[in-house]
Amino acid sequence: MLRNRLIFGLIYNEGCFMQSRNFRLQRVGDINWLEKNYKFQKISFSMDELLVVDATRKEKNIDKFSETISRLVEDVFIPVTAGGGIRSIDDAEKLFNSGADKVLLNTPLYENEMLAKQIIARYGAQSLIASVDYKIIEHEPIVYIKDGTVSVPVAMEDYLKRLERLGVGEILFNSIEKDGTGFGYDIPNITKYANSVNVPFIILGGAGNGAHLNDGLNVEGVSGVATANLFNFIGNGLPKAREFMLNEGANLARWDNADF
Amino acid sequence: MKIVVVDYGMGNVKSVISAIRYLGFEDVILSNDSSILASADKLILPGVGNYAMAVKKIHELDLHSIIRELVLCKKIPILGICLGMQLIGRSSTEDGFHEGLALIDAKVEAFNSKGIKIPHVGYNQVEPVLNSRLYSGINTELDYYFTHSFRMQSEADICASRCVYGENFIASFEKNHIAGVQFHPELSQHNGLKLIRNFIEKF
Repeated sequence: MLRNRLIFGLIYNEGCFMQSRNFRLQRVGDINWLEKNYKFQKISFSMDELLVVDATRKEKNIDKFSETISRLVEDVFIPVTAGGGIRSIDDAEKLFNSGADKVLLNTPLYENEMLAKQIIARYGAQSLIASVDYKIIEHEPIVYIKDGTVSVPVAMEDYLKRLERLGVGEILFNSIEKDGTGFGYDIPNITKYANSVNVPFIILGGAGNGAHLNDGLNVEGVSGVATANLFNFIGNGLPKAREFMLNEGANLARWDNADF
Repeated sequence: MKIVVVDYGMGNVKSVISAIRYLGFEDVILSNDSSILASADKLILPGVGNYAMAVKKIHELDLHSIIRELVLCKKIPILGICLGMQLIGRSSTEDGFHEGLALIDAKVEAFNSKGIKIPHVGYNQVEPVLNSRLYSGINTELDYYFTHSFRMQSEADICASRCVYGENFIASFEKNHIAGVQFHPELSQHNGLKLIRNFIEKF
């Protein structure tokens, strides 16, 4: 049976990793800090995938970001997705060449569909994750681009269907309002949209503990649960959450990580 | 032990190479030079992406006949990963009809089950046949990371493990010194590292 996935996200900003809350960023530490304090490779054995997003608000430097990806993926044997600020096929290529297995697009999905088509033609549909950020405005989930600053005048269901037609490999459904809160996922909207498209559906925004992650996985149609909550899951947090999830019966991959 | 990862410009080869190094095999090189390929003790054919484009690149780099000669005449062991596994077969119907390396008798076609999400993405369990060398000494439920929309079928008795996703398909094959895995061992934590080590040591 196909397993569900536990995906860990790192939010990157000008060389540092950040805690994001409602898309406002707080600096936590750089890559040396991550390796020194948290033995990143060790906690990578508790995740199914790694997602790294460049959320730099000023001019993004894709070369420097690529270097960070390259260091991060050393001795990490899970799929790595990188994104944030990809505006050309050359940008995407830099990230793939640095060790990314997939790239994440957000703004260009609306403003420049041709870029998504180029990535799919060269690297395959499975290599592209469509990031969909949304806020609830008058009870309706509204899609936002440009780091959550500009709304898109297309209804959520139509937008998701449009991404499916475009041929993206997966959808990352991210609640801006739940982002970094640790209060749990936006279950009502996730329930409403997870089965509206026939591509793998990953949710992000709000998970603060293992029970929240399992709540997400229990929604029909959800393929993966993601968290970028550094405060709650770094160190022992993630291994413990995974253990909790498995003990509660979550359908996650099992590995023989001892004896190596 | 010299391991050559065949470079034809498709997909993430960095993690394949770092997995081999992590296992302690330092003599690993990424190349498409025929003399370097000929000096290999083991060949690894990686690959992610479009079959038609991969076949085109393999021909452009004159790799088609070299790989066939090394594997079929000189009996150099080869492991195909994902698209690399599919290329080892005879043909694929991805974007038309395209002929592969034909090192084994197998064809590649799209999943034909209804009601499943495509691509097949994520960790899925594989069930090895008896005495498979690739899975030797791996004592778990055998989860491996898949990401693909096409899968291999064969009439020949080559299947080393099966996986279920809407239907039952070949997750890996072994035929003498030729092996292929539809999943990504380099992205499958210790289950995958052990499988790569088994290929290097047992083929």
